Amino acid sequence: MTEKQKHIRNFSIIAHIDHGKSTLADRLLEKTQTVASRDMESQILDNMELEKERGITIKARAVKLNYTAKNGESYEFNLIDTPGHVDFGYEVSRSLQACEGALLVVDATQGVEAQTLANAYLAIDNDLEILPVINKIDLASADVERTRSEIEDIIGIPAEDCPAISAKMGLNIEDVLERVVTEIPAPLGDPEAPLRCLIFDSHYDPYLGVVVYIRVVDGTVRAGDQIRLMSSGATFEVFEVGTLQPFGMQRSDSLSAGEVGYITASIKAVGDTRVGDTITTVLSGATEPLEGFREVHPMVYSGIYPADGARYGDLREALEKLQLNDASLVFEPETSVALGFGFRCGFLGLLHMEIIEERLEREFNLDLITTAPSVIYQVKLRGGETVMIDNPSKFPSPDAIDTAYEPIMKATIITPTGYVGGIMDLCQDRRGSFIDMKYIDTERVELHYELPLNEIIYDFFDALKSRSKGYASLDYELKDYQPSRLVKLDFLLNGELVDALSFIVFDERAYGRARKIAEKLKENIPRQLFEIPIQAAIGSKIIARETVKAMRKDVLAKCYGGDITRKKKLLEKQKEGKKKMRKLGSVEVTPEAFMAVLKLDDE
Amino acid sequence: MMNKERIGLYLHVPFCVQKCRYCDFCSFPAGEALRGDYVAALIREIKGAPEEKREVDSIFLGGGTPSLLSSEDFSHIFSALSEKYRIAPDAEITVEMNPGTVTEQKLHRLRSLGVNRVSMGLQSAQNGELSILGRIHTYEDFLGSLALVRVCGFENINVDLMYAIPSQTVESYRETLERVIALSPAHISAYSLILEEGTPFYRERESLALPTEEEEERMYLLTCELLKKAGYAHYEISNYAKEGAACRHNLRYWQGGDYLGFGLAAHSLYKGKRLAHTESLSRYLCDPLTYEIEEIRERADEAEEYIMLGLRTSQGISLGEYRARFGTDLLAQKREPIALFSSHGLLAIEGDRLFLTERGFFLSNTVLCELM
Repeated sequence: MTEKQKHIRNFSIIAHIDHGKSTLADRLLEKTQTVASRDMESQILDNMELEKERGITIKARAVKLNYTAKNGESYEFNLIDTPGHVDFGYEVSRSLQACEGALLVVDATQGVEAQTLANAYLAIDNDLEILPVINKIDLASADVERTRSEIEDIIGIPAEDCPAISAKMGLNIEDVLERVVTEIPAPLGDPEAPLRCLIFDSHYDPYLGVVVYIRVVDGTVRAGDQIRLMSSGATFEVFEVGTLQPFGMQRSDSLSAGEVGYITASIKAVGDTRVGDTITTVLSGATEPLEGFREVHPMVYSGIYPADGARYGDLREALEKLQLNDASLVFEPETSVALGFGFRCGFLGLLHMEIIEERLEREFNLDLITTAPSVIYQVKLRGGETVMIDNPSKFPSPDAIDTAYEPIMKATIITPTGYVGGIMDLCQDRRGSFIDMKYIDTERVELHYELPLNEIIYDFFDALKSRSKGYASLDYELKDYQPSRLVKLDFLLNGELVDALSFIVFDERAYGRARKIAEKLKENIPRQLFEIPIQAAIGSKIIARETVKAMRKDVLAKCYGGDITRKKKLLEKQKEGKKKMRKLGSVEVTPEAFMAVLKLDDE
Repeated sequence: MMNKERIGLYLHVPFCVQKCRYCDFCSFPAGEALRGDYVAALIREIKGAPEEKREVDSIFLGGGTPSLLSSEDFSHIFSALSEKYRIAPDAEITVEMNPGTVTEQKLHRLRSLGVNRVSMGLQSAQNGELSILGRIHTYEDFLGSLALVRVCGFENINVDLMYAIPSQTVESYRETLERVIALSPAHISAYSLILEEGTPFYRERESLALPTEEEEERMYLLTCELLKKAGYAHYEISNYAKEGAACRHNLRYWQGGDYLGFGLAAHSLYKGKRLAHTESLSRYLCDPLTYEIEEIRERADEAEEYIMLGLRTSQGISLGEYRARFGTDLLAQKREPIALFSSHGLLAIEGDRLFLTERGFFLSNTVLCELM
């Protein structure tokens, strides 16, 4: 180990959502004076507006901190931030791979939660030294001792003398910094060996092209080096290397084994720099890539259409821009009879989908109509061929199907014991297979289920929250594809099939869902001049029906004292409302109708 | 047809004994001192108004409850009006009244000041419904006041009715209609209740036993049917009149004639501008001569208003006049919606006139949204 390596510590902070990860990051930056407190914009690592609002970190970022320890020596800390949601599990694992240790933040008022566990297991898988940090001790309901024993009992790591802090109040932060020095190992790796850098993130910069965030595992990289991305074989010339500062990038001569930083190399798209890939040199490069790389595939698909058909081009541009920074977003043009021209978009999960939709609406000022999300089904056709179906309207007709398969997830739910019954009912109702149940302590239970992803994306998270008063937490990952009796449910308005409303459902659930959705549609179709039948059908068989009655009254009866202006304003408001309606054949529908199929909990 | 060489005057009296539960109009209970200050401001406004050569052929005192003013207040107001304006000998002069707020002495005074039309707010002949509405009177109070009004020589009388009242049924409404028809007023206004934001009804809307849309339509169609049989012409969405008794002042609103509004929250259409007074009592009392809103009407506004207001009347609009005034052929411009609504029996064309049918009246907003 070089002298330099001895003074480097690379670590992440991992936590369940809202346990205080970002606040702790703020304090570390402040205490090491990496950021003067007056410049301290709360939670600097989360630099997207949306992340701040949702209090979660979407994309990993890294920052270098300089710390002079009590032993008088100076250390370089690289704090690598990780996304905090189940959709981004793979990205989290790659960020962790870039580290030697992790601070596991646990809220002393909440204790260990599903994502605490999931993240801790990921850290253990990556051979990280885990340093538990108990946070929020300033709150009256904090129970430090209980949290300690939970960490020891549930996760199985010693927490006897772990730091107990309040990130919010800045309490005992010094303690955390000292422990990073003493407990997190210095990075290994040979600076003279063939180059191997791990890509843990990247972002697109309009001037520099793609900025690749790396951890150098072996060797040394400099500007001018010819490099090769080992999974794709693509080669580039390094333009610049440097370290990551809170307010930007700091150019340096080289990065060598153990260091964390960035490189730029005129790379045009983030899609070329897959997270988890290995960078080596073209000449005398490494032969073996780093372990753990895999391609990420979208799990959830949804149709996104501009509310105003004329903005199709704007939507495409917006998606292209978002994709520059988000290689996991995929999209391709799609046409719907009902909605016109739009895109079928693939996402890592529901949260990822919501984030993309919100960014499209907020940052690009688009009004969108989105169809209910769908998972990818595998369908083995009678002819022997297997097709992947990401759009319900393309689901083959029953007589063409040999076997249909759907993705099944391994789900972990942690809940206070009082809600176990309700949650088990919910999982049962959503076709879950019970695996096991572990008592974490006398008050909390860890449930394991296998659940179809198809059920998880239909409002499962909200249902879970409402059945546990918000206390239950959920984590899941793909297990495999399993054969399933799936049918396509279609909806007809005024006798016309609306392709954008079709969705895939488990056979026995079809009747219940059809009725429920027909009711929801009824709520989202205003009365019109004629009566509108709403029908749900499997193939040509109608299985549910509702009717929107014809409108009988739409009049401003009175006009007080010649106040014409007010009357006109009311009519204008009504006209505005009408403009937002989507016309499906002869029927006007609110844009929300397409999401109506999602709200199922009260069934 | 409206005589554009004449104008109308509206005077707003924002006082009432107690606010009804559906009312969001500018009115409130007030003491004697405030009443005096208000009448003084009103008279200042009349005196300070721009000089006007045109003859006045309609005056309307609306509210609130104008009949809460004293005989002296009325005298002051009318003498200010007749000093300022040339009032036509055949002018229609209306005062709104609520049952129980009129005395013989006051009615005689009004007669002598030239008032020749009375509009009575009855709303329902069912006392249970009146109490739900928060009205201060009973049906019997109304009968008493009506008799008094007639005794004092008023013949041109309007009765205001309301339907879609919480708890009202088609049958209870039929009874109201029949009772009022039997009294044979010259004019009947029948409005469907609107839940206006900011009213007690609006806040309680979830718990009100409101009739369904279907029942409401039946009440509307029943109004049309019974009043037609009794000899009333349905000349505007909510207004019905015996031969020659259509309200000239109200028609002026729909036909685009000029009118000047005096008083709190009063609106005017005057020489191409829409004017409106403040709804703040203190501001009005300080400065009754300044308008809060002054809008010059653009041509497009005029065209939209021509359609929106004209279609409220049974006559509808003249396609020829529309073309002459706004340079476009409405039939060509709105071919699709006109065809659609005609096929649903909501719109009709006869010669030069485009008008809403009886059913069309009740869906007029839907039609207007597409035509404007």
